[in-house]
Formats: sequence, structure tokens, C-alpha cells
Amino acid sequence: MNFNLTKEQLLIQKMARDFAERYIEPVAEQIDRENKIPDEIIEGLAALDLFGIPFAEKYGGADGGYDGYVLAMEQIGKVSGGVAVTISAHSLALGAISTFGNEEQKVKYMTPGCQGQHILSFAFTEPGTGSDPKQITTTAVKDGDYYVLNGTKRFISNANFPGAIVIFARDNESGKITAFIVEKWTEGYTVSEPWDKIGQHGGQLLDVYLKDVKVPVENVLGGPGMGYPILQLGISFGKVGVSSTALGAILAAYEETLKYSKEKMHRDSSIAKFQAVQLRIADMAIKYEAARWLTYRFGCLANEVKDPRQFAKEAALTKTFVCETAVDAARVAMDIHGSYGLMNDYKVARIYRDAIIGPQIEGVSDMQKMIIAGVALSSY
Amino acid sequence: MNIVVAMKQIPDLHQIRMRDRQPVLDDVPLTLGNIDKNALEAAVHLRDTHGGKVIALSAGSEELEDTIKEALAAGADEAFMILDDSLDNADSSVIAAVLAATIRKINDVDIILFGEGSGDNYSGQVGSRVAGILGLPQVGYASSMEVQGNSAIVTRSLEDGEEILEVELPVVIAVMADINEPRIPSVSQILKAGRKPQEVLELDDLAIEILEEPVVTESNLAPETPRKQVVVKSVDELIAVLRTEGVIGR
Ligand SMILES: Cc1cc2nc3c(=O)[nH]c(=O)nc-3n(C[C@H](O)[C@H](O)[C@H](O)COP(=O)(O)OP(=O)(O)OC[C@H]3O[C@@H](n4cnc5c(N)ncnc54)[C@H](O)[C@@H]3O)c2cc1C
Repeated sequence: MNFNLTKEQLLIQKMARDFAERYIEPVAEQIDRENKIPDEIIEGLAALDLFGIPFAEKYGGADGGYDGYVLAMEQIGKVSGGVAVTISAHSLALGAISTFGNEEQKVKYMTPGCQGQHILSFAFTEPGTGSDPKQITTTAVKDGDYYVLNGTKRFISNANFPGAIVIFARDNESGKITAFIVEKWTEGYTVSEPWDKIGQHGGQLLDVYLKDVKVPVENVLGGPGMGYPILQLGISFGKVGVSSTALGAILAAYEETLKYSKEKMHRDSSIAKFQAVQLRIADMAIKYEAARWLTYRFGCLANEVKDPRQFAKEAALTKTFVCETAVDAARVAMDIHGSYGLMNDYKVARIYRDAIIGPQIEGVSDMQKMIIAGVALSSY
Repeated sequence: MNIVVAMKQIPDLHQIRMRDRQPVLDDVPLTLGNIDKNALEAAVHLRDTHGGKVIALSAGSEELEDTIKEALAAGADEAFMILDDSLDNADSSVIAAVLAATIRKINDVDIILFGEGSGDNYSGQVGSRVAGILGLPQVGYASSMEVQGNSAIVTRSLEDGEEILEVELPVVIAVMADINEPRIPSVSQILKAGRKPQEVLELDDLAIEILEEPVVTESNLAPETPRKQVVVKSVDELIAVLRTEGVIGR
């Protein structure tokens, strides 16, 4: 067991921290207000390989592993949940193509994605369900060399950027869920106005309308009827990004708390003198360390998945713990800030609005616990 | 054009804690000096314009093999390292002798860049000493530079103005921190750093004689200034006190 980061890992962490502090932090408030990430930020992220850290170099990635991805995403998530969720959802789609795609699909769809010219999407959720594949109503009807897709996908990240989208639909031949790689803005593909969500502003969230969208047969991902395993394993990889983003939020909440507790004066000294404040700081330090090592470990596990079911359990427990801890940490940070924390002028308000999203995405916490218990009980 | 950049391995200054007025250096990660990174950036820029190679040069303890990856990630093409545990705290004269002897082993060096001072001690001597040993011209306080033909045009930023010099190559130049903003290396550059050519030397490989340390550093704390702790209640009183102390005119 060795808990030391290698020089390369330290440098990846520092690179992301430097970029986040130097370039994202100065516009983080603007991103929150305008719900848009400036193009220069996207270009900067792309130049540093932040759209393709864990993916193979031959598909445009940086071969930096999910361990490198975790370290970078923590730093990005610390300054902007919106930027982090954009990369996270994009990497979720890339991860699915990387794991289940054939050579041609990987070269064609991953390369521009890893290089940041495209920002990819992953579309499972529908108005009727975000947790249960059995209730998927989007249909794929085979017609010669094509499938024709119809349906509505809800809450799809990055749906308005150019690039590939992995769409889950029930195909009429197998009767099962099949995953398709579709090019966004193909004929019949339209999107709603962006959702006005509580936090992680800058991260684009839209509904996708599919009307007779023609998808060539060669764009089936992993084979007909393979949608469910792709979803399960894909989402497990996706949780690396969601967990790292939440980890960044914990660190941000913790640092804002340390800073404010030393700045805010009560009579002649700072509120950090109060034991009640100190206990909260201690709790945050404990939780940050626990969340940190759980997430770093999860990144290492994602580098070499042997048993998808066990991995799904690790993913579910990490994601649940870290995302819920982020909400706790943000809430405690609000307590320390008193009413100031409720003002959008204070960073802690944004941290709270960002953090509250984690437990509800890529599988709500309740569903995660069902996965954890299911695997635990069946392997005992 | 071959450019050597001398870079010093130092403890990461952001991560040093103080205990009993002494820095605690245990477990503090090592990095390269900040201004040295500006020197490297300047070298990379020259190479990108004129072609050639950037060679990072450093003398220090064994950890340097890891630390030097920072330079290789940030654009150096190769590295020369002299490894010896005694070198991390060695005196400027020793380091200068070691670096100069190593530079002699590198072919066709056109420019040797230094940071104006190291990140930890900032004595700013090594560059001048190396120039002295090698018999090369040297320019300090460089705030910009370019190469034209066989000479370097260097702007020196001085207290009361700027000086522009034209110096024939090869030359030793020490740069200031404001010469540029070092680039942030990408993930692939970081991961490829360790695979770039690296030459490791030991002190025995260099035909130099290392003298007893002529200078011993006892402390690098700022000198303590005694405070008079005089409390005044009004401006008039303050002026009166300052007058008596002879701080302002009578
Ligand atoms: C910022 C953001 C980004 C998103 N990005 C994407 C994206 O890129 N792609 C995508 O496909 N989706 C995306 N989503 C959607 C998100 O993943 C889903 O909304 C989420 O999985 C929850 O689905 P749901 O809202 O339908 O909740 P439901 O499934 O309706 O769950 C609601 C509650 O019902 C209970 N429940 C549900 N099922 C069960 C059960 N079987 N047993 C017991 N209790 C149950 C649970 O308590 C749960 O909390 C995004 C959402 C947000 C907010």
C-alpha cells in the first residue's frame, strides 16, 4: 500500500490547479451568472488534454489514467462545478465508446472528443425514468442499413455542443435496450432551451427530441441488445467524474470555511476562536480526507476493471459517500458564513448550489445503495 | 541553437511550515525554482523561434531525477543532472564549479540561462561565477531577449531605467521573473517528460576539486528589528516622539 502520489500525478494535479486558479477562477462567477463557459476556457482545457485524460493516445487521449483524471477533476471541480460537470458528462460518453466501441468507432468519435473539438453526450434519462432501463420508451426501428430513432431524452448534458451522443433506445428486433452512437444535429435531432438548474451553471442541460433520426447500423455500440451492460459499466466509469467534481466541492467548502472563520470578527478576535466553529472545521477535515482517499482509490480501480459488478459497487459507494459529503460540507460552510452564505456574492452559496446536484445525478443515492446492497448480499 | 537552462531543485516554498522560527523541510515536496521556470520558458520560446535544443541542467540530490521532469514537461528537450546528496545545500562556488564543468561536456552551447536568483537563497551568484569560470560574457536582470545572427539583444531592467545590450554568443544571461509567464504543461507533456533523454553524472565524472565550504549559512531569517513599542494618543504626540527619536527633522 502506498499513498504517495508519483511525480507525474503531482504534476497533473498542479497543472489543473494552476489552470483552474489562473484562468477559471477569475470567470467562475461569470460562468455561474451567464450559464456559459467562455470559449477561451474550453480551448484552454483542450490544450491541456483535459477532455481526454484517461483515454488512449491513439484515440487522441493523454493516456493519463483515471487516477490522473480524478486529480485534475478535483481541482477543476473546486473552482467551477459547471466546468467539471461538462467534462464529466463528456468523459462518461467517451468511456462508453472506449470500452464498448470497435476500432472504427473509437477513431471516428473519440479522437475529436479527446482533443476537445467535440463535447460528447450520453443520453439515458427520459421524462418517465432516470433510473430504470425497463421503462425506456425511445424506440429504434430497423430499416435496412439503418435504425430509425424516435423519442425524447431528458436532462442531457452537453446536448447542444457538436460531437457524438450515445443514445439508449429499445430496438424492435431484440426488444432490448440498444446503445447507438449518433452525431448531434443530424437530421431529426433537436434540443430544448437549456434547463435553468439550481447550480453547476455553465454545464449545459437540455432535452433532446429525436424525430425519425436515421442511424447507420454500424453505429450500434457493443452490439444489439447490449444497452443495459453498457449503461451499467458506462455509468460506473461516469461516477469517477461525478465523485471527483463533488470532492472538489468539499475542498472548496472546507477552504472557504477556514478563510471565513479567520476573517469574520467577533468582538476582538475571529470566530475561529469558538469551539463550535472549530468542531465543524474538524468534521470537514475528517470528511475531506475520507472522501479524498475513497475517490483517489476509485480512480485507480477504474484503470483496471476486472469484475464489472464489483466495480459497480465501488462506484456506487464512492459516488454516494462523496456526493452526500459534499452537500454536508457545503451546508456546514453555510452555517459558518451565517446570512452572508445565502448571498450569491459569496462563493459558498455557489458551492452549495453546485453540491446539491451530485446525489441526484448518474443514479440517485437511493438507487446506489440498492446496487451496493445487492452486490454485497449476493457475494456473501 | 543550443540553450542550457540551469535550474535549482528547492523545497516547494508554498508547503513549508515554520516551527520555532525555523523552516520545517521534512516531507516538503521538491520543485524547481520559480525564476528558473521563467528562464526555461524564455529558452523554449527562443528554441521555437530559432530551432535547436533546450537542455535543462541541474545539480542536486537523488530526488532530482523526479524533480527534473517538471522541466522536461515544460518544454526542455533533454536534461543533464549531477546527482549527489551534498549538492542540495552546497555553496554557490561549488555549484558553479559543478555546472561549469558539466557545461563543458555539452557540445555547442550558445546561450546559458539562469534565473536571477534561486527560489530559496536568492544569492544570485551562480550565473556570474559560471560565466567567470567559462570566460563568457554575462548579462543580468534580463527582462527580454532575442537572438539576431550570432548575437543576443538583451534588455536589462535596472532601477533607474532600461539598458539594451548586444552580446556575442555564447553568453550567460540571468533573467528576471517578469520576462514571461511560464506555460502550463499538458497531461501528455507531463507523461512524456520521463521518456526524454537524460544524462546523469556524478561528482567523480567531473574533473573538479571541491574545496571546503567557504561559507556557512547560519540562518536565513530576516534580521530581528527591535521595536520601541511607544503608544501615542494624538498626531501631535506622534510628531513629538518622532522628533525626539530623530526620525523626522527638528
Ligand atoms: C446536472 C444534471 C446532469 C444530468 N446529465 C445527464 C446526462 O448527461 N444523461 C442522462 O441520461 N441523464 C442526465 N441527468 C439525469 C439524471 O441522471 C437523472 O435525473 C437521475 O438519474 C435521476 O433520475 P430521475 O430524476 O428520473 O429520478 P427517479 O428515477 O424518478 O428517482 C426519484 C426517486 O424515486 C425513488 N426511486 C426510483 N426508483 C426506485 C426504485 N427502483 N426503488 C426504490 N426507490 C426508487 C428514489 O428515492 C429516487 O430518489 C442529469 C441530471 C442533472 C441534474
